[in-house]
Amino acid sequence: MPSHELSEKLLNAMINADRSGAAQIIDEALALGIDPNQVIARVLDPAIVRLGQLWEEQAMSLAQNFVAAKIAEDALLRCIPTLEGAPQGSKGAVVIGNVEDDFHSLGRRAVGLFLAAAGWEVHDLGNDVLAEQFLEKALEVNAHVIGASAMMQTTALNIRKLRRLIDERGLTGRLKLAVGGAVFNWRPELVAEVGGDGTAHNAVGADQLFLRLQAEAKGVAP
Amino acid sequence: MNAYQRVMNTLTGAPVDRLPVFAVLGAYGGKLTNTDLRTLYSDAGAYVAGQKALQAEFGFDLVLCPFDFSAISEAFGGEVAWCADQVPNMKRPAVQEVAAALRLPLPDPEVTGRLPFILEATRRLSQIYREQVPLIGVLPGPGILPALFVGMDRWMDTVLFDAAGARELMDHTGSFLVSWANALLAAGADCLVFTEGMAAAEIVPRGIFEGQFLPHLAQVFARIAGPKVVSSTGGSMNHVLDLFPGLEGLVGVSAGSRDDLAVARRLLGTELTLIGNLDNLTLPTASAAEVTQLSLARLRSSGASGHFILGNSGADLPQATPPENLRAMLEAAKSYSKEIGCGI
Repeated sequence: MPSHELSEKLLNAMINADRSGAAQIIDEALALGIDPNQVIARVLDPAIVRLGQLWEEQAMSLAQNFVAAKIAEDALLRCIPTLEGAPQGSKGAVVIGNVEDDFHSLGRRAVGLFLAAAGWEVHDLGNDVLAEQFLEKALEVNAHVIGASAMMQTTALNIRKLRRLIDERGLTGRLKLAVGGAVFNWRPELVAEVGGDGTAHNAVGADQLFLRLQAEAKGVAP
Repeated sequence: MNAYQRVMNTLTGAPVDRLPVFAVLGAYGGKLTNTDLRTLYSDAGAYVAGQKALQAEFGFDLVLCPFDFSAISEAFGGEVAWCADQVPNMKRPAVQEVAAALRLPLPDPEVTGRLPFILEATRRLSQIYREQVPLIGVLPGPGILPALFVGMDRWMDTVLFDAAGARELMDHTGSFLVSWANALLAAGADCLVFTEGMAAAEIVPRGIFEGQFLPHLAQVFARIAGPKVVSSTGGSMNHVLDLFPGLEGLVGVSAGSRDDLAVARRLLGTELTLIGNLDNLTLPTASAAEVTQLSLARLRSSGASGHFILGNSGADLPQATPPENLRAMLEAAKSYSKEIGCGI
């Protein structure tokens, strides 16, 4: 079966929360002799991109998003059984976390899963991450993008500390700041208010956002 | 007519002198009394002083029992994150697995953690405001409660991939919810608002709510004697509103800020009170004139038929909300009530 048909079947399984069905599709692709990296690139990734389009066209609930993220994680693990020991993501390193005082981790975790599934080397710092911790890790792993998540307006405003820190260190433009979380979907103008360089409406869209920001950062890097 | 009579008449469909107005304000009381939020949400006297200051400053048609779900998380063994300008939050859940959650001892409302503080503040508020201003208790719905001790990630995972485990956990914790609700009523709460995040369209689709959460909501409601309201803390609820009429003791619904109030009214029928639906994110940032217009739009859409309370849709309003915006809500209700001849 061609990979695009497998991808279409996988997409349907994701939409219908059919976790075991999705696993069978990945197993089928691997059994056909398709290289695991190609399964990710030509079966999993197109399904994730299509999910993002569906999100824009319809209202997917958090539950559907969560299911899709779990299935993406399952698929990824099936393709790379020893993920931790395997070569890290080919797209580059990113640092993500919930900003200081924010403890709503679900969206961030989904973003991490999708980014990993899409080929990023994800450094997830967890909840309540200080601006200094974000920056220190980003410099350590040579990340060009930091993803800061916040669910509420009060905590979203703490992202401004990270913006200031990036600017004070002279890293403006070379280290991009992606912001996300429920409050940014409700108030898109908040992205600029907190100094974000971009946002995605959901975890599925994170890959495209991080790709764009990383390209922009590398474009101005020495 | 005092606030208590105004709200009770609204719930029963009797005439009122003006339409009532609710604003969810807890931490704001700390701002008015210059009290840090750790003290406000630990000391009954400090919390009561905050509510008294809010009544004196604005005079909304409710006083609020401490609305702090981190106290429930803490009572199960979780860790609390204290913040300078917002209601405390859950920092770390008590356990990571459902099996471990099933072994957790259920908190005793009169003994465990800060739950006695909430009850004591409720008693004191009741002594001050009994039959003057309605005293509203807020507690989590049965569908969202487990997230307070296993964390939202694990709970969502269980709901979606282990329905039997989710059901077992809600059965296990339902008795705590009932005892907590009845303790709040015994302490003097006039009405209980259940914030059921799983009723929000943004969280789960209708089928999951109807199949997995509604039966638990119905069971819990049947074991609690007092009047009850369902809220999704701001999320859209019109997709499930038709399922609510008939829930035992239900007197109203707090609509989501994106819900069409006319549709909500049609789905709920004529007897249940609709509360809402000003957006929590708009209130701190809009001008007072904008709040007036937004309030009047809601009042004109839903006020004339009765059973309507103007209010914000969501959790505690930020301390940064300008006081003139809060006053604008009240002034809009007064203006509209005059427009339709209330109290004449």
